[in-house]
Amino acid sequence: MIGYPSAKRIWARVGLHLFLGLSSFLMVAPFIWVFFTSFKRSNEIVTETPQLLPAVWTLENYLKLPKVAPFVRFFLNSIVVSGVSTFCIALGSAACGYVFAKYRFRGRDFLFFLVISTILIPLQTYIVPLYLLTWKLGWINSYQGLIFPLIIMSSGIFFLRQNIMGIPDELIDAARVDGASEWRVFLSIILPLSLSPIAAISIVNWVYTWSLFIWPLIVANSTEMFTMELGLMYFQREYAVDYGGIMAACMITLLPVLVVFLAFRTRIIEGVAFTGMKH
Amino acid sequence: MNVAVVKGKRVAVGVGSRLTRSQIAFLWSMVMPVIVLFIIIRVIPVLVVLLMSFTNYNMNRPLVRFLPYQNFLRLFGDPNFMTAFVNSTEFVLVAVPVEILLGLAFAIYLHRKVRFESVYETLYFLPYIVPMVPAAIIWKWIYAPGTYGLANYLLDQMGLPRVGWMSTPQISLLAVIGIHVWKQLGFFVIVFLVGLKNIPASFREAAVVDGATLWQVTRNVDLPLLKPVILFGVVMATIWAWSAFTEVYIISQGTDISTGAEIQVMVTRIYAEGFLYFNMGYASAISFVLFIVSLMLVAVQFRLFRVESA
Repeated sequence: MIGYPSAKRIWARVGLHLFLGLSSFLMVAPFIWVFFTSFKRSNEIVTETPQLLPAVWTLENYLKLPKVAPFVRFFLNSIVVSGVSTFCIALGSAACGYVFAKYRFRGRDFLFFLVISTILIPLQTYIVPLYLLTWKLGWINSYQGLIFPLIIMSSGIFFLRQNIMGIPDELIDAARVDGASEWRVFLSIILPLSLSPIAAISIVNWVYTWSLFIWPLIVANSTEMFTMELGLMYFQREYAVDYGGIMAACMITLLPVLVVFLAFRTRIIEGVAFTGMKH
Repeated sequence: MNVAVVKGKRVAVGVGSRLTRSQIAFLWSMVMPVIVLFIIIRVIPVLVVLLMSFTNYNMNRPLVRFLPYQNFLRLFGDPNFMTAFVNSTEFVLVAVPVEILLGLAFAIYLHRKVRFESVYETLYFLPYIVPMVPAAIIWKWIYAPGTYGLANYLLDQMGLPRVGWMSTPQISLLAVIGIHVWKQLGFFVIVFLVGLKNIPASFREAAVVDGATLWQVTRNVDLPLLKPVILFGVVMATIWAWSAFTEVYIISQGTDISTGAEIQVMVTRIYAEGFLYFNMGYASAISFVLFIVSLMLVAVQFRLFRVESA
């Protein structure tokens, strides 16, 4: 077995890489195509024989976006919605995860079941009553309305609980014996030791809320409350043949996610494999 | 050691010991806000949607009547709903097997100690992490009619006849399912790959020592041990395919498509009845069906996997 690999084995390896390379290229090919298209002049975009690279690189597709629609506002709205949601979820998941992991009290298992069982019910199922609740609260077309269904996350609590269970009880008890209050224990032992799972959950949730479409679609009904996805959808509907502008707007919508993904690749993969990126 | 005395005060320590009053106050103040939010945002709406499905509630009409069966009877005679039901069923029947089989294939190949594994992993995963709206818009352009779209251009180049991606309903639905599969596939590759990595290498080595080939190891060691992970994948794939919305919504609106009614699915029906016509009662009845059917599908899948492994 040891020695020079046989020709057969080399060919098997080459075939494997060919298969993996080709299929993974097909997965990202649409993005490559759109990336280059967004830098083309409008007369180059739809042609008899499409060219991958622009003959002349131009930023005109990007520069015209703020003039035709308030894309800066959309972008900021998306940042506000996903930011507030992520902050609440980081805090809530850590607090609940800690209590579910380290305390025994009456009703704990029931409450934990209540939290976890909602993972399998997608938002689409109960979106009608959720909308009516938002309407009764007077929160249609407001930040409160956009954000409030997004501030809880079952899988976040589950993920933090699993991680905090790994923190030794002795550490907590030692602090208590030293006279630390429960709050002190949480703030100076549990939180610092859970930063890595909290980061994983936060990034995953940020990506999820940045991408969410159906809830903003029904709750935001004036232009100034649109998120990026919503603004993009209306823009492509109104300017259906302006492929250059649409593809530039697509790039701007997916670029933040792409940057965050490439920066925190392993965290995201770990978090998503656990949570499925669902609330 | 359940109680320690510190500076003359009794302090409860140790997980599982009796909690002091201040500890109980602390833990409830930690969980209560989140639990209340779960009840307001999830539990009550789920119960309300079940109740509302038996009413004719409409946001524009003050009078609400109780309808014991009329909404559900109406569903059967509603051609829009029937189309949506059939389409969503096709969505599940096509998307779930393709996602699971391709996901398994890629994960198994990636697990064979290939060089650049993390590069391939990243590329497969990319569509999953990207928002659906821009992704669907990009695909809508690829599918565009005539020479506008890349898909038909490539068919032209290969000497094949063009396809009416967005004008033949049967093909349009499959094209949308294609977007869904392309988008979700990366999740399954990752989940199965993580599952494979959690199988102890000694199991495989033992099989190799006994003379098993690579494929025999995969079939007789990896796949049986991966079964719980595959079940998880099947359940998630089913729920996502059954409640798909954004890709269908994006594809079925705009100028270059006439098939919006033919490719509608369950959730686009809920959206249309509830938020375009404000028939909240009827929309809730569709939600009810969405919910019950997905519960039944999940129950059947758990059943099948248990029987198989018994």
